[in-house]
Amino acid sequence: MNDSSSPGNARRLLGQIDRLLRGGFTERDTLRAGRIEVPVRTLLIGGVVFGAVYGVTMGLYAVGSRGAAGLLQLVATTLKVPLLFLLTLLVTYPSLYVFSALARSRLAAPETLRLLLAAVAVNLAVLASFGPVTAFFTLSTDSYPFMVLLNVVLFAVAGLVGLGFLRKALATVFETATAAAAPEAPELPAPRARREPPAPPTAQRVFMVWLVIYAMVGAQMGWILRPFVGSPDLPFACFRARESSFFEAVIRALSQLFR
Amino acid sequence: MLRHVDALLRGLGRHAVGGGRVPWVSVLVLGSATGFGYGAVMGFWGGRPLQAFYSGVKVPILLGLSTLICLPSFFVLNTVLGLRDDFAAACRGVLVAQGTVAVALAGLAPLTAVAYLSSSDYALATVLNGGMFALAAIGGQAMLARHYRPLIAANPRHRIGLAVWLVLYVFVAVQLAWMLRPFVGAPGLPTAFFRDEAWGNAYVHVFEAVRQLLR
Repeated sequence: MNDSSSPGNARRLLGQIDRLLRGGFTERDTLRAGRIEVPVRTLLIGGVVFGAVYGVTMGLYAVGSRGAAGLLQLVATTLKVPLLFLLTLLVTYPSLYVFSALARSRLAAPETLRLLLAAVAVNLAVLASFGPVTAFFTLSTDSYPFMVLLNVVLFAVAGLVGLGFLRKALATVFETATAAAAPEAPELPAPRARREPPAPPTAQRVFMVWLVIYAMVGAQMGWILRPFVGSPDLPFACFRARESSFFEAVIRALSQLFR
Repeated sequence: MLRHVDALLRGLGRHAVGGGRVPWVSVLVLGSATGFGYGAVMGFWGGRPLQAFYSGVKVPILLGLSTLICLPSFFVLNTVLGLRDDFAAACRGVLVAQGTVAVALAGLAPLTAVAYLSSSDYALATVLNGGMFALAAIGGQAMLARHYRPLIAANPRHRIGLAVWLVLYVFVAVQLAWMLRPFVGAPGLPTAFFRDEAWGNAYVHVFEAVRQLLR
């Protein structure tokens, strides 16, 4: 375990994450067999590292606006970004698994977790790649509401990419389940003509249920773990008092920017 | 030097459309030289050599740094879109387009110089330079489109990749340009590399301006 910091292992880890991003672990053949062969450790380490990288760029704002006192916020944000995603998955996994099993998913419980972890890792990798953009704007911006909104937008874009990955994989999982049940149709009109067959209704239903559960819990989890950016007017706190909600805060930041 | 500029504009040799090695060094050298040339002319408006030098340094920084900031996201998003095998070609297009902007600016520099000689209006100078950058950007855009045409033909998903690049790049470049002011050098203000109050956010300023208009 403790040799994971050696350069060779780090390179292998990056190589596996790279293969994941290219869709190498979610190919049709393996998903059809109900397997996802990406190691859980890779996903966990990769996800935590990518989340921490983005957390650093996100927490830089506090250092810029509060000096050394903001360092605590920086450390806290670095830990909180990976925590946000892993805790959300922890809370939602049981319900997500139950719903997909109800829909007769080809994936067993451990494989479902792997698929979800893989989607989270993709999400965090995209988020980490936005790190330079966030850092650049942090260095040149005083406006707190702007930084909050920028982070919301970047989280949303990264989230959408992660969801797109998940939707594609789910479509394959359920497509193979139904295709295996139905007899082989002999006159399939040129299977190569269409790149992505439309997702079967079951897959879409499961995806929608997952999406609603995951997004709501995720938004609220983010709210519980506040502050991430750290308002320049407030002293550092590990967590803020529980009040209002994520959606109310977004509207408030928008109105502040335009006021 | 001129031969390299010609090769870049015509897309020959190292700058040809397609994959293969990305011509980092040659684009960097060409872009820096030509960008410095235009920046120096642009900054010479008030007859201040130091401002001209600063502006000359700033134009390549603007083009290069904004590209550098956007490249990680561009790389990962291309990978997720399944376009990784074409990344060398896409990156080449993006890079050569930046070089084209710099070369086009240098080509426009004499026009700016003549305009400076014929008028000493500061407002005109800023609008003129804005127009020059817009023209050069159109040139860069044409080059980017040329590089992306075969990619999109092979895989329509490259359209998304191109859109991702443009949105991200414009978002970052606008802010960086704002930070790097002054480029022309306002008549009342001293020569400076950075303007003291420039260290702000362009978008927040735009929001504020809109708000004041609506009031």
